[in-house]
Amino acid sequence: MSVRAVQGDAGRARRIKRSAWGLAALAVAFYLGFIAWSVLLGFG
Amino acid sequence: MSTTAIDTHGEMHGKGGVLAWMKRWITTTNHKDIGTLYLLFACLMFFVGGGMALVIRAELFQPGLQFINPHFFNQMTTVHALIMVFGMIMPAFAGFANWMIPLQIGAPDMALPRLNNWSFWLLPFATTLLLLTLFLPGGGPASGWTMYPPLVMQTGDAFPFLVFAVHLLGVSSILAAINVIVTIMNLRAPGMSLLKMPMFVWTWLITAYLLLLAMPVLAGGVTMLLTDQFFGSSFFEAAGGGDPVMFQHIFWFFGHPEVYIIILPAFGIISEVIPTFSRKPLFGYAAMVYATASIAFLSLIVWAHHMFTVGMPLGGQLFFMLTTMMIAIPTAVKVFNWTATMWKGELTFETPMLYALAFLFLFTLGGFSGLMLAIVPADIQYHDSYFVVAHFHYVLVPGAVFAAFAGAYYWLPKWTGVMYDERLGKLHFWLTAIFVNVTFFPQHFLGLAGMPRRIPDYAPQFADFNMISSVGAFGMGFAQLIFVWVVIKAARGRGEPATGQVWEGGTTLEWTVPSPAPHHTFDEPPVIK
Repeated sequence: MSVRAVQGDAGRARRIKRSAWGLAALAVAFYLGFIAWSVLLGFG
Repeated sequence: MSTTAIDTHGEMHGKGGVLAWMKRWITTTNHKDIGTLYLLFACLMFFVGGGMALVIRAELFQPGLQFINPHFFNQMTTVHALIMVFGMIMPAFAGFANWMIPLQIGAPDMALPRLNNWSFWLLPFATTLLLLTLFLPGGGPASGWTMYPPLVMQTGDAFPFLVFAVHLLGVSSILAAINVIVTIMNLRAPGMSLLKMPMFVWTWLITAYLLLLAMPVLAGGVTMLLTDQFFGSSFFEAAGGGDPVMFQHIFWFFGHPEVYIIILPAFGIISEVIPTFSRKPLFGYAAMVYATASIAFLSLIVWAHHMFTVGMPLGGQLFFMLTTMMIAIPTAVKVFNWTATMWKGELTFETPMLYALAFLFLFTLGGFSGLMLAIVPADIQYHDSYFVVAHFHYVLVPGAVFAAFAGAYYWLPKWTGVMYDERLGKLHFWLTAIFVNVTFFPQHFLGLAGMPRRIPDYAPQFADFNMISSVGAFGMGFAQLIFVWVVIKAARGRGEPATGQVWEGGTTLEWTVPSPAPHHTFDEPPVIK
């Protein structure tokens, strides 16, 4: 089954991609945030 | 593609010979294939990590150093833990997620099938990188899986490979978590509201959010280790104004949610198995959902209970002690609800149910030792002793691993199309259940008597219980070969053909498709009443 068929209509496919990128951004923000916070606390 | 006829086009791809077979398995985007890959990989890592455990227990069989030098022993304890956590139990539950989430929500596949493939294939590369460090001149990592500085800085050549392997393992988990969340939130069949989802799906939804919050923190921590080692930073180096204890905070901010990431899907499997073999619905479904969410939330604010001996202020110790004890409440709700599910049910004791019942009792025992560890003045004695080792092995082995076995036996007929050999399954269960207790129960006493952890040799007063524990470990190890035989037999189709329903008490959507489940299912979503 094609990816498009799995994701259904174009609207749902867009929502899926947007939420996936949003969650990825959250993970990256946490990663960078913890390092940045350590630097701001005076470490590094 | 029909959902009612057996569809074998997955196998048809093999007609081009070995290269076509390899191409199928390397490039597959099918959730069932990827689930199978995760599960087989986890099985392989179970034996790799288990082999390391047997090296450890062989050395600890008697006092003195018999077989290996202390540095290699430390490599074994470190890599055993890294392999079991990141290479075995997490991929095993990811395999269950891949196979069962689309089936249980009536979706044709995971929402991001190509990302799914990549999430899996990162794992063999990462674990190969990790395992190959054992063959470097200075050996592999030997600082414990917790990688505390400054000791971890003495790792030698293996250090950058360790950091990179941890990064890759983390990326794999984060991508899988994104896929799980997006799949569950977008691809549920019409009529399946969130509070109608099976508990296994709920626990994975919550676990996926925990993964997203926790794994990047570990990645940040090991990145800072890397910059300290190679780029002149001093996050954790006291001489440069840094603080090694800060790494412990960062690591355990990841590490405690990590253990809930491991156990929540296990809870989900137990919540599927017990109702099926009690022929009764799960007691208190909504309470189970809220309890799981509470456990996940609380797991984010208990991390420093791993650090009670670092010199934390009293207020901090009290806070973490209280939150840690609080987490027992929603956990107890779950244990009571599983028990209430069985009350006045029509119980039968096939192998999945045996594992679920053993989980119920033995995980609770592990929880009790956890409560003991939560009490700060007591933990000053228990910390870094074998009492801790006993606690976490009870929640991980008769906890998470037994739940994984329960799930494997429960869903094996759906995956393979045949009933597994029940006699062999029960034999596997009884041998494993007996030997796991022989291995780990004496370790409580070793800890209480004062035996430290992570030591290759010990004082003579600890000899008897160490000998018993080692005998148990070897028994448990060899008993797992029975499981391999059960799986091989079923995979080769040697057994009674399974119906779609398989288990009389099964009520979730996977039991509405044929066994083995066709390569493609729910091309048209079912309507949930």
